[in-house]
Amino acid sequence: MEVAPGRIHGFVGRNGAGKTTTMRIILGLAEPDGGEVRWHDRPVTAADRRSFGYMPEERGLYPKMSARSQVVYFARLSGFSSAAAASAADTTLDAIGLAERKSEPVERLSLGNQQRAQLAAALVTSPELLVLDEPFSGLDPVGVDALAEVLQAQVARGTAVVYSSHQLDLVERLSDEVTIIDQGRVVAAGTVGAVRRRRGVDQLRIALDGGSTAWAEGLEGARVVGRDGDEVVLELLPGADDQALLDAARRAGRVTSFRRVLPSLTDLFREVVSR
Amino acid sequence: MTRLRLIRLVARREILERGRSKAFLISSGVSLAFILAAAILPGVLSNDDPTTYDVGVFGSRSAPLAARLPEVARLTGDEANVKIRTIGDEAEARRLVGSGDLDAAVGDGPVIVDRRLGDRLGLLLQEANRQVVVEAELTGAGVGGEVAGRVLQPAPLEVLPLDPQSEGELQRRALVTIGTVLLYGQLLGFGYWVASGVVEEKASRVVEILLAKAPASQLLAGKVIGIGLMGLAQLVAFVIVGLTTASVAGSVDLPPETISVAIQVVGWFVLGFAFYSCLFAVGGALASRVEELQSTTTPITLIAMASFFVAIGSGDDPSGPVARIATFVPFSAPLILPIRIAAGEVGPGTIALSVAIVLASILGAIALAARVYGNGALQLRGPLKLRHALRARNAGAAAPSTET
Repeated sequence: MEVAPGRIHGFVGRNGAGKTTTMRIILGLAEPDGGEVRWHDRPVTAADRRSFGYMPEERGLYPKMSARSQVVYFARLSGFSSAAAASAADTTLDAIGLAERKSEPVERLSLGNQQRAQLAAALVTSPELLVLDEPFSGLDPVGVDALAEVLQAQVARGTAVVYSSHQLDLVERLSDEVTIIDQGRVVAAGTVGAVRRRRGVDQLRIALDGGSTAWAEGLEGARVVGRDGDEVVLELLPGADDQALLDAARRAGRVTSFRRVLPSLTDLFREVVSR
Repeated sequence: MTRLRLIRLVARREILERGRSKAFLISSGVSLAFILAAAILPGVLSNDDPTTYDVGVFGSRSAPLAARLPEVARLTGDEANVKIRTIGDEAEARRLVGSGDLDAAVGDGPVIVDRRLGDRLGLLLQEANRQVVVEAELTGAGVGGEVAGRVLQPAPLEVLPLDPQSEGELQRRALVTIGTVLLYGQLLGFGYWVASGVVEEKASRVVEILLAKAPASQLLAGKVIGIGLMGLAQLVAFVIVGLTTASVAGSVDLPPETISVAIQVVGWFVLGFAFYSCLFAVGGALASRVEELQSTTTPITLIAMASFFVAIGSGDDPSGPVARIATFVPFSAPLILPIRIAAGEVGPGTIALSVAIVLASILGAIALAARVYGNGALQLRGPLKLRHALRARNAGAAAPSTET
């Protein structure tokens, strides 16, 4: 698994596949049974790790400490001087929208704001590498968009972002690259486009007026992969003609939508991970 | 970044955050109130003079009773406390006893008291009565002069103590006992804080971020040093406030060994805390929630308590076998040595050996605590067995440090 600067790297796998363990190994919290963590083409050092931003899956801050003082504390533990830590904490908390409540004890903040404080703790060192374990879990759609914006801003200034998620549509939309692991092994990796193209087959998504989907059963040159709302999702068999399928669809009813697409990450994920 | 800087940062956070916490302020206030009370109250209570006896005499024997009572009181050292008044008759006696002006009135009949006659005053009155009767009988039998004097006032018994206990020794024992109680309280109180500090970080999950920033051993060292410094500062403050108040109020006579006992208590706190706090940290690392702390720290609390009672008990027998053995057991050495040193029972060699044993045990406790803390820190579900925590291969403790 390789993570490049200025890229968002999605990290997916089933529960228990080893995502959290991998992240803990990156941060030095667990020892690998094999392999090593390299940073800028050399083995990672404790000082490198201190500079990484990390948001563990089990969120946690000191409940009685104010958001600001603990973000300052984490910056200082990462090697910042007292003055640098204070100004970095203020900048980060302001940028993340927690400026007004930063002096309150974390336990008195709303869940959303606690999440922000947690993110600020990871961002305060302006890390070159940001490791986020399930950063989107528990966020409402507005929160998801806000966090995605923050991550894109980080990437814009050259940060490498690795995050894990079970929301594959989100991973597909947000990530530049993706790694899928299964039982501790990488089963697919690369840019999102490359991973979706890896099987070399396209999908057709066809919707008919009235939403009928029964027409697609037993068609020549394609097999039904599934249904998504009004759409029938078909996989084109090698050598088959997509226009012939369009004709078949038109014979069944009025075609309201006809799209030739790459398999979604979700479809691919279902195929590559063990059941 | 140097190790020391990390340890200092962690210690600083402990001091700043805990120093501000309500729990610390309240417990400090309560302890201080107790110490002030202990320093002032003995003076206040002893100024409230020893009980005085107001005795009225009347009737035909009033003159000899009034003459004999002070003589009898002198034998028991009560001469200053017995006041005798001659009163008119039984009616006046009843009135004065009833109003509380007199504790007892003696005439020709029964002794008149309000509710009951106290043992000491009773003895005085019975003895005076006996002497008055004997004197009358002697006079009646024609015995007088020197013989009568010898019978009525024989030379008092002298006392020969085989193992005299001086006033100073009592005070010294009291002082060193108070010091040991204080020492035990600080060790246990601040040791428990280390345990709860460790489990709070686990329960709030913040420990995972911390471990990504610093090795377990340095996080632990910072925590122990920070909390230990607070305990030390509090102990020194208690000692200074207590001793200053006691000497200003003049309520307690401070023996000349006071300063040396105070220094010993503070010194043994440093060693004892280094040892006990590591064990408490193990208790904290084995728990995953504050509620589990009680059970994971019980063994160490019990050992500390047993050591405390052995130490206090050794005040009676500072050279006995139990005291001798406990001197070389790291759990009890910090508590028992001040007592045995004050009793003059141990020489420099014994002290040096005992300190060496405690120091070696501290190193062992640090290694144990760092390992269990490192392994247990990310075990966030359910209490952990010590065996498993030692075996588990995980996290910062074992991770090779690339520190410069």
